[in-house]
Amino acid sequence: MPEAYPVQNPRAAWRVYEGEAVIVSPEDSTLHTLNPVGTLIWQAADGRTALDAIVGRVCETFDVDRATAARDAAAFVELMERRGLLTVHEMPHEPA
Amino acid sequence: MDELTVEIGGLRTAFVTRDPEVLDVIAGRYAGFLATGAADWRIEVDRRGEGLVDLEDVVVRAAGRLDRLVAERHDFVATLDLPARTGSLSLGAVDHVAVDSFLRVAYSLALLEAGALLVHAASLGRQARSWVFAGPSGSGKTTLTRLSPDATLLSDEISIVRLGDDGGACCYGSPFWGELGEAGRNLAVPLTAVHFLRHADRHATTALAPRRALAALLPNVLFFAAEPALVARVLDVAADLVGRVPCYALGFRPEASVWEAIEGA
Repeated sequence: MPEAYPVQNPRAAWRVYEGEAVIVSPEDSTLHTLNPVGTLIWQAADGRTALDAIVGRVCETFDVDRATAARDAAAFVELMERRGLLTVHEMPHEPA
Repeated sequence: MDELTVEIGGLRTAFVTRDPEVLDVIAGRYAGFLATGAADWRIEVDRRGEGLVDLEDVVVRAAGRLDRLVAERHDFVATLDLPARTGSLSLGAVDHVAVDSFLRVAYSLALLEAGALLVHAASLGRQARSWVFAGPSGSGKTTLTRLSPDATLLSDEISIVRLGDDGGACCYGSPFWGELGEAGRNLAVPLTAVHFLRHADRHATTALAPRRALAALLPNVLFFAAEPALVARVLDVAADLVGRVPCYALGFRPEASVWEAIEGA
């Protein structure tokens, strides 16, 4: 499996309140609110951090085994990609 | 050049033009909001050469710099330089609809810097307190204003809420009306609560935690620009507001007794 480097859409406006991210989609102004795990992944999605390393941070922060965290993180990233909020690269990627 | 100044949400804008018809339209439409004295913003107004254009919605885009914006609709095109607080407005039609549409866009941007939001909401004042009633069309905003003859109308459609230096917030009277067709009184009244409306069989208020209140408020904020820094500022002001002011879900039936639920919350 190639490595995955998720990166935030630079046109998405977002803030974290009470540990949970609120993101406004740049395409249609839809509001997305993330739970604490999603928020951690979102904040770590800088294009330079591999998803595998992000999963490691999830396991360190939350009470979850690595296999479950990896599966859930992949599903979350795919969902956020479909929403136009994340893109995934196979190599480290500097945000535009 | 002649000029006329309007004050909305505590922010004064001078319209400067050689066109007396433009000033007549502004003076008539914003009669309760005319002001004298130094203006915060200065907008030069003329007529758009091509008249009306084929454009369905309002489009706001950055023009070279992120803080210099172009706003366009079928009946106007405008530039807004946010740091300089200057702009231009070319009207495709010299009427109150075009001017009102421009002002909604301009004030949604200009007031943001001052910690204020335009909210799709009715607002009413009573005994030096005010309440904002937010919700989409059909949720009961105009109904509630009609149930409140002894309250001071601040708006039946687009309310202006502004964070204060005292840790609270104020609701300002707004000239932007809806179905009622009546401008609010040009007052600033301390904001007691924000209610999110829905029709119900009985009156009931449910307190909303700040995160839920923020999620309820944001879809009702009137904002036209998509620049991430500006949208993030909207998030900040909205989050600050719901942290300062109690927010409730308000189910109500169309009876004046709803005020017992509102004031008792």
